[in-house]
Amino acid sequence: MSPAAILSGLRRVNAGVGLGCGLVLLLCCVFILVEIVTRRVAFGLFGGTDEISGYVMAGVASFACGYALVERAHIRVDLIHRRLPSAGRTLLDLASLGGLVAVAGALVFHGWGVLSKTIDRGSTANTPLETPLWIPQTLWLAGWVWFLAAAVVLTGLTFAAMLRADWAAAADVAAPETDEAAIEAGERG
Amino acid sequence: MIVNLTIALLGLLVVSAPVGLVLFVLAFGVDWFYSGFPLVRGLGQVIWSASNSSLLTAIPFFIFLGELLVRSGVAARTYAALDAWLSWLPGGLIHANIATATAFSATSGSSVATAATVARVATPQGHGLGYDPRLFAGAIAAGGTLGIMIPPSINLIVYGFLTQTSIPQLFLAGLIPGILLAVMFMIVAAIICSTRPALGGPGRRADWGERIRGLRDLIPIIILFTAIVGSIYAGWATPTEAAAVGVAIAALIAAAAGGLSLTAVHAALLGTVKVTGMILFIILAASYLNYTLGAAGLGRELEALLESLALGPLGTMLAIIVLYIVLGFFIETLSLMVATIPIVAPVVIALGYDPVWFGIMLILLVEMALITPPVGLNLFVVHAARRAAGVPGGLGQVMVGAAPFAVAMLAMAGLLLAIPGLALWLPSLGS
Repeated sequence: MSPAAILSGLRRVNAGVGLGCGLVLLLCCVFILVEIVTRRVAFGLFGGTDEISGYVMAGVASFACGYALVERAHIRVDLIHRRLPSAGRTLLDLASLGGLVAVAGALVFHGWGVLSKTIDRGSTANTPLETPLWIPQTLWLAGWVWFLAAAVVLTGLTFAAMLRADWAAAADVAAPETDEAAIEAGERG
Repeated sequence: MIVNLTIALLGLLVVSAPVGLVLFVLAFGVDWFYSGFPLVRGLGQVIWSASNSSLLTAIPFFIFLGELLVRSGVAARTYAALDAWLSWLPGGLIHANIATATAFSATSGSSVATAATVARVATPQGHGLGYDPRLFAGAIAAGGTLGIMIPPSINLIVYGFLTQTSIPQLFLAGLIPGILLAVMFMIVAAIICSTRPALGGPGRRADWGERIRGLRDLIPIIILFTAIVGSIYAGWATPTEAAAVGVAIAALIAAAAGGLSLTAVHAALLGTVKVTGMILFIILAASYLNYTLGAAGLGRELEALLESLALGPLGTMLAIIVLYIVLGFFIETLSLMVATIPIVAPVVIALGYDPVWFGIMLILLVEMALITPPVGLNLFVVHAARRAAGVPGGLGQVMVGAAPFAVAMLAMAGLLLAIPGLALWLPSLGS
């Protein structure tokens, strides 16, 4: 597969990940609304929305970190970055991605530690729902695995582009989305 | 440890490492150099506990709410209504800029989204009417910063999460300083335009019929604000539930305006997930840094340092304020908050300051960071909107125009120091 094909494949899967996260959030929102309305009338239909929305946040958070990575949206201070020649910029991008691979690897490794302990002990949440914790933790860990996989692929693509001295391709993979582009889309916290 | 940490933080930021990565690397460094036992064993559990949080779920909900409102056209009608009420003041439409930003702040948890929304609506209206382009743009950039002070506020949720402070109390505390700041901005604009009328554009005066009709267009915003903030204080809803209610109302408003197509919802969802990923990565990293700093005994070292400096509570607070103003020139808002809270908040609280009060002070300082060059996101936002509207003039114009409002923010910081009740009075009523 050519680098361009790998990149577009990664972005296609990522778009699906993003939409999935969005739909889960939407569903969680509806769930909370139903709970509020029924609570005003009686005791609430489900109970435990607090617990469920916590699990939703955990799963969405890890997957969304990967989504934002492929979208090149993670916040970086580019004061020096944008003043460098393209080879220097690519080196900084590669260093950032390498660091992210290490962090994502640590998160997956220690996340697995949490999940495997939960499975060994058969831990359940200390709540009326008694949710078996392996379910939300598996989704949460899957998100970090996606983050790691995305970081590895992006690092490989950037490195390959650097070897070819194809700076435009490297920037397309790894350079931060410009402030102006992000802002015109009306984003950022 | 403190000096090394600060150098490493700034060094890594300057080489453009993602902010979340920088915080993780710092945390690993603290573990490696300053801890007697390997803290990294706790990494999985700390990140799981931090991300398994129904409180944080409010953040994507508020982002989604904003994405929906932007597509609803409600901003343009709000602007027209406030124009009819306020443009007789010296400075004309500039007051509509500030008031629309204030109104939007009451439904939006983000300053950048507020500035972007108002800039998109206001820029085409003001162009060609003879307003000083610097002041006109600067007022939007400054007014937009209110988004994180007037509740709801994503930044206050983040502060509350990292310092274990009550979100409803923080929201209540931001209300009076936020409104006061808006009034101060309008006074600044009125003074400038009275002394130098050439900057202010033509006087305008709407008749009463127009004003009364305009009130109808303010109803959606008022309903949204009342539902979100009211339901929290009435005790009907947690901040997260209130955010979900806000999403539902925003969806109705957008649907009524015909802005709720499937494509629009899809785009809004993707935008929400993207911003959520950006924000959560640095929040989770900061939680882990918090944990390692605590375990490595940063608190004791800071206490010792403070005692040796002997500045006293007021002197220390002034030093902290200066520090934030300087860092705010260079570092993006949320990153500035999240990277410094684990270090600064324990110090401030140990000195006897109220954590709710400091939350508001911190928000005020990062608001200033939003409009002080060279890195001020709101300046970039307003500039981008001006270019999109085909208005000539560089980024420098926005920077100059925002400067008088930054002075008003400094005055507000002084007021907040002198009269803590500005922030603490409303929360004290509830408890």
